[in-house]
Amino acid sequence: MDLKQIKQIIELMKRSDLSEFAFEEDGLKIKICRGANGLPVVSSTPAPVYIPAQQAPSAPAAPIPVPVPAASGDETGVTYIKSPMVGTFYRSASPESKPFAEAGTKVTATSVVCIIEAMKIMNEIQAETQGAIIEALVENGQPVEYGQKLFKVKIN
Amino acid sequence: MIQKVLIANRGEIALRIVRACRELGIKTLAVYSEADVQSLHVQLADEAICIGGPKSADSYLRADRIMSAAEIADVDAIHPGYGFLSENAKFAEQCESCNIKFIGPKSKSIKIMGDKAIAKDTVKKAGVPTVPGSDGPIESDAQAVKIARTIGYPVIIKAVAGGGGRGMRIAHNDVSLAKEFFVAKNEAEKAFGNGALYLEKYIERPRHIEFQILGDKFGKIIHLGERDCSVQRRHQKLIEESPSPFLTPDLRKKMGKAAIRAAEAAEYENAGTIEFLVDAKGNFYFIEMNTRIQVEHPVTEEVTGIDLVKQQIKIANGEKLEFDQSDITFTRHAIECRINAEDPARNFAPSPGTIGLYYAPGGLGVRVDSHAYSGYTIPPHYDSMIGKLICSGKTRKEALERTYRALSEYLVRGIKTTIPLHKAIMADPVFIEGKATTAYMEDFLSRTTPDLFS
Repeated sequence: MDLKQIKQIIELMKRSDLSEFAFEEDGLKIKICRGANGLPVVSSTPAPVYIPAQQAPSAPAAPIPVPVPAASGDETGVTYIKSPMVGTFYRSASPESKPFAEAGTKVTATSVVCIIEAMKIMNEIQAETQGAIIEALVENGQPVEYGQKLFKVKIN
Repeated sequence: MIQKVLIANRGEIALRIVRACRELGIKTLAVYSEADVQSLHVQLADEAICIGGPKSADSYLRADRIMSAAEIADVDAIHPGYGFLSENAKFAEQCESCNIKFIGPKSKSIKIMGDKAIAKDTVKKAGVPTVPGSDGPIESDAQAVKIARTIGYPVIIKAVAGGGGRGMRIAHNDVSLAKEFFVAKNEAEKAFGNGALYLEKYIERPRHIEFQILGDKFGKIIHLGERDCSVQRRHQKLIEESPSPFLTPDLRKKMGKAAIRAAEAAEYENAGTIEFLVDAKGNFYFIEMNTRIQVEHPVTEEVTGIDLVKQQIKIANGEKLEFDQSDITFTRHAIECRINAEDPARNFAPSPGTIGLYYAPGGLGVRVDSHAYSGYTIPPHYDSMIGKLICSGKTRKEALERTYRALSEYLVRGIKTTIPLHKAIMADPVFIEGKATTAYMEDFLSRTTPDLFS
């Protein structure tokens, strides 16, 4: 499903009485509902918010990010570690070292979970929460933006 | 060859830059705050990176995050728009050292013109008339009084690090001058982090007339005529027009030449504006230079037919200016109204919120530069301007009538805007006769009942 198709579905919804549309395929789940003011609201998981040029050299223009509204509410006891800066995400201190955090790793507020490189400076990112890592949401070497979800954490 | 531009701004100017880049076949990267996720330019740009929280200090002013985004997205150039980091010499320097083209002047020129006292001194040496006053910062209230007695009251105290109409105080005698000196110093410290002040003769009821200049990297500088921005409220421009109803061809020529001399003195490249005050007798004085593209640039575009943002990109790309001064012609009259989300009937109280129905006017000679759309929620964290209406015609009369007609069609439901105010001004005899000076708005508001604006 690409952005053009999503836009077409939104148009169809606007012109009809349809109040909800859900679609699931290959790890992409998308749900479009009529919002409070009658305009369609799109939620999707997971949403790669930024696709760098080097990962899609022959692809057409990178998809425009679709804003993701608040979580649907079936995520009690779970929190996300979000990026406090813009840069490149690395799971370990160096290509040879073990990743800082993997599924199951226990973390406290000051545990280092990853490195984000910004302007040649390696910044250690702390968990700022207490619990256990459920999964990493970005790949090693992937560019990340401010506020991007990096890890899903089960809170103690 | 510039292939990808990072737009370090938001709102209507960011949209303007996306449009110019699209037409030049250049890719765009929008950097945005969490409050601007739904912004039109973010949706239209080829790529987008979130750089921080809603507050400007946490996003659009974060040079580090912007440079980081430029790095990971591999951009060739950054367009800073207006406001934010556009006149931040340090940011321009950072771009220069990272080998990313800053679409604007050299950091050196920004530095020279950024300090208002140095700017004045620099252009004075180039033979540009300046307002009589202190030659540089004033050290004490006693010195201020001494200078004021020489140049004559009334005088105006200005912040060296100020600009854009901020940090200015008027005094009519020794006592008020001594008092205002300290008030202004404190205000400047707080607002600009620099309490240095300079003094100027206060020119009464002047017209604010500015000249648009373009300079390439090869030293060629031309001007594209003037914009009369006398209709201001609290030093914020509301309406701009070109040509100025006051200038004679002779005065235009003189001021145009002076504007070019001022830009040359700053070794200027790219787009910039020289601001002058003009008194009733036609004496003109340099007040400051804006080293960026301005809000009101479309007025000049409509009159000359030249796309200024595209010119900015071409100049940054190292291309020679494709025009000579003799190629610049002024074939139309254009008027711009800044549409703000404010309630003119309630003393311009801000009116944030969600726009319900939005319908922009159209037709020959009607241009709307706006990022607003039906359903758009105006974030409360930034300025209140939601768009600009620029109407042009063969004559000033036609432009005025067209502006009135377009404003009548312009619908922005759900919030209050200054559209009714602009309509009232278009129908006001003083404005129609081209007699507006910078004293106009205060006078107009004092003789108009607020319910004219509902």
